[in-house]
Amino acid sequence: MTTTQTRSAPTGARPKPPSKARSTVALLATAAIVIATVWAVDARWERFPAIFTEAPTYISLMVEGLVQNPLEMPWSEYWTKTSGYMFESLQMAWMGTVIGALLSFPLSFLAASNVAPRWVVLPVRQLLNIIRALPEIVLAIAFMIPIFGLGALAGTMALGIGSVGTLGKLSSEAIEEVDRGPVEALRATGANTLQSLRWAVVPQALPEIVAFWLYRFEINIRASAILGIVGAGGIGSILSQLFNARLWDRIGITLVVIIVVTVIVDQISAAVRRRIIFGSARPSAEMATGPVEVA
Amino acid sequence: MIEFRDVSVTYPNGTKGLDGVTLTIPDGQFVVVVGLSGAGKSTLVRTINGLVPVTGGELTVNGENLVGASKRRLRGLRSRIGMIFQSFNLVNRVTVLNNVLTGRLHSTGMLRSLLGWFSADDKERAFDALERVGIVEKAYIRASQLSGGQQQRVAIARALAQEPQVVLADEPVASLDPPTANAVMRDLQRINRELGITTVVNLHFLDLARRYGDRIIGMRAGKVVFDGTAAEADDAVFEEIYGRSLTAEDVAEREPGALA
Amino acid sequence: MSAPAPTAAVTSRGRPRKPPPSIGAITALVVFVAVTLWSAIGVEFTLSPLIVNLTRGSDVIEQYLHPNWEILTRPAVREGFLETLYIAILASLVGCLIALVLAMLASKVSAPNTGVYQVMKLILSLVRSLPDVAYGLLFVAFVGSGALPGILALIVFNIGVVAKLTSESIDAVDHGPVEAVEAAGATRFQRGRYAVLPQVAPNYLSYCFYVFELNLRASLVLGFVGAGGIGEVIMLLVSRLEHSSVSAVVIMLFAIVFVLDQASRAVRRRLT
Repeated sequence: MTTTQTRSAPTGARPKPPSKARSTVALLATAAIVIATVWAVDARWERFPAIFTEAPTYISLMVEGLVQNPLEMPWSEYWTKTSGYMFESLQMAWMGTVIGALLSFPLSFLAASNVAPRWVVLPVRQLLNIIRALPEIVLAIAFMIPIFGLGALAGTMALGIGSVGTLGKLSSEAIEEVDRGPVEALRATGANTLQSLRWAVVPQALPEIVAFWLYRFEINIRASAILGIVGAGGIGSILSQLFNARLWDRIGITLVVIIVVTVIVDQISAAVRRRIIFGSARPSAEMATGPVEVA
Repeated sequence: MIEFRDVSVTYPNGTKGLDGVTLTIPDGQFVVVVGLSGAGKSTLVRTINGLVPVTGGELTVNGENLVGASKRRLRGLRSRIGMIFQSFNLVNRVTVLNNVLTGRLHSTGMLRSLLGWFSADDKERAFDALERVGIVEKAYIRASQLSGGQQQRVAIARALAQEPQVVLADEPVASLDPPTANAVMRDLQRINRELGITTVVNLHFLDLARRYGDRIIGMRAGKVVFDGTAAEADDAVFEEIYGRSLTAEDVAEREPGALA
Repeated sequence: MSAPAPTAAVTSRGRPRKPPPSIGAITALVVFVAVTLWSAIGVEFTLSPLIVNLTRGSDVIEQYLHPNWEILTRPAVREGFLETLYIAILASLVGCLIALVLAMLASKVSAPNTGVYQVMKLILSLVRSLPDVAYGLLFVAFVGSGALPGILALIVFNIGVVAKLTSESIDAVDHGPVEAVEAAGATRFQRGRYAVLPQVAPNYLSYCFYVFELNLRASLVLGFVGAGGIGEVIMLLVSRLEHSSVSAVVIMLFAIVFVLDQASRAVRRRLT
């Protein structure tokens, strides 16, 4: 409102451009790191062109396995066996998510600063952070395989415990974001802490928390494939065996089974998640596509 | 010169945006388009630079036909038409100067645009435009740090940097308080007078429309229902355009004490 | 409000009946129980080993709880960590650059047409459906073992993650500036560069730092399939049952991840 009747001001009034030194330094530093890395890493870059000769050969071998009549032996057996392993992966992922959800649900309240006192929140958050830092594969090797032995159960437990960290953190954040109004209103009617949690906090936060569970399920499907490499069950175990034996036709079948099952389950899970979030009383747009922070 | 000949716009969902509009806007005129929301003001303005495709009739801008123009020709046409929006539409995280420089993109090559190397000429034009709206001192500040009125001035500068023959403004002051709204309207008027740029502005407030418009076009249900000078557009005309009696909402500056 | 009715309505006439539980809720519950049972049976779920085998497993766990720090001084371990770092840097850099282009093509806002957008979405969801180990195994088979297959596997993995997250950020950008730049006669490419990119830049950068961290962690697994990095050392130690050494190396890896994460947080705060 003050500068309404300006005619062209003298050129001297133009501000000086801010210094570009910082962005230049950042750019040079990045370039230096990259060059140093390329030089230092013992990657044997000369092997890279092999991709263009090897990959087509192997891919065509894989396709050969895929185009065989899947109803004829031995192909029918390969397809059913592979699907069996993939279903085991799904089962591990689901059970792991259920365990993670059961354990993380109470912990998430203890980690929410608007519910629990500070001296509870801090240690619980620390615990969740430690679990979050441990990858499932370490949990499996160090704890679950010694206790549960090789197989799907060890993998399931590793996924379950591994899920607690992320689920607890994300759920506690959802709890911290609930509208305080209803909580106060319930307190005002004389409800105790547990009652106001049940009737004011849970109804607000639950849709998002359930969406996190589903999201974690999607992550666990991929994680369960990794666990097979160390003998903790699922599709990963057969995958590494097939690669060792270089059975390319069966590798092709296995990869296709993984891709198809994962994509289908992802689609279903995403649709349910969207339904939960938008069907809820508190739609939050950023959750529609899943939380940004994962793992 | 902008010429509408029996122009109609039907949106994909079946709503009619414009219904047989015939208009001629000579060069250098300051035209204000009024009407209720949904009357087709916005559609009218957006057909002029092809943001809304015309589905019937003929529309020419400076002799160039918009109907069926290729993407490339449409871009060329848009480069000569500046546009100002209700919500300013600045890129928030970017400096004022770079926002204004987006008005020069039409004549900037792919590699230069990728790297952000604008020519000295373009920078000169951008600074010149900022000086015209009196906000040059903010050139290196992020757009998000400015007030609404300042942001709208940056948006005007962006349009000016295009060196346009026509400026379109779609409800440019609807998000601003009355004094700022007047300031922005004065900027638009001054630019129209000084540079002879044809200006088409959508407005909701009848007092602003009367004060700044050389010519007022009233729209209702996609049709032009009034076309005359500001002097001719009295309250009765506005009631006719709005299809209801006038309220305090229809003016930007209310008399103190009246209908608060 | 000022005069609340002192007595409740005496008649039940007009009171709505309690609606029956919705079909959706019942289906959800049935599906949940059925899938959980199926899964529990499939993985032979039991908690009894927790009681029965805790003692059997305890000496292994014991070793994990007493890390052998001396292992960290071995040159092979140091080189393994450095290789992990190199792999992560190169893979996240190349992966993120490619991902930015693909993300632009995979969002309705910036894709040249709906055909490209739909094909890109499909490709990205296919890429993301395979875990990083699968890419590791593939590239080890293609180019032999070492750092190179690790880098290549993680590049593909990063493209999947970053392109998906970024394209979703692009979907959510404010459309106003896009329209304004379009109205100024900009090409589609210029729209992406000037109206979309500045809006998604902070999110995009944080996704890049995020995959960098994921890549450091992934080196643990990728080493198991011969794709270089500290994971190869870990696999060797695991196969020799040197549990306390494994423990020390893993803890060190997470200390490194933690420090780099803090550093990247500081950098990100500066950038945004």
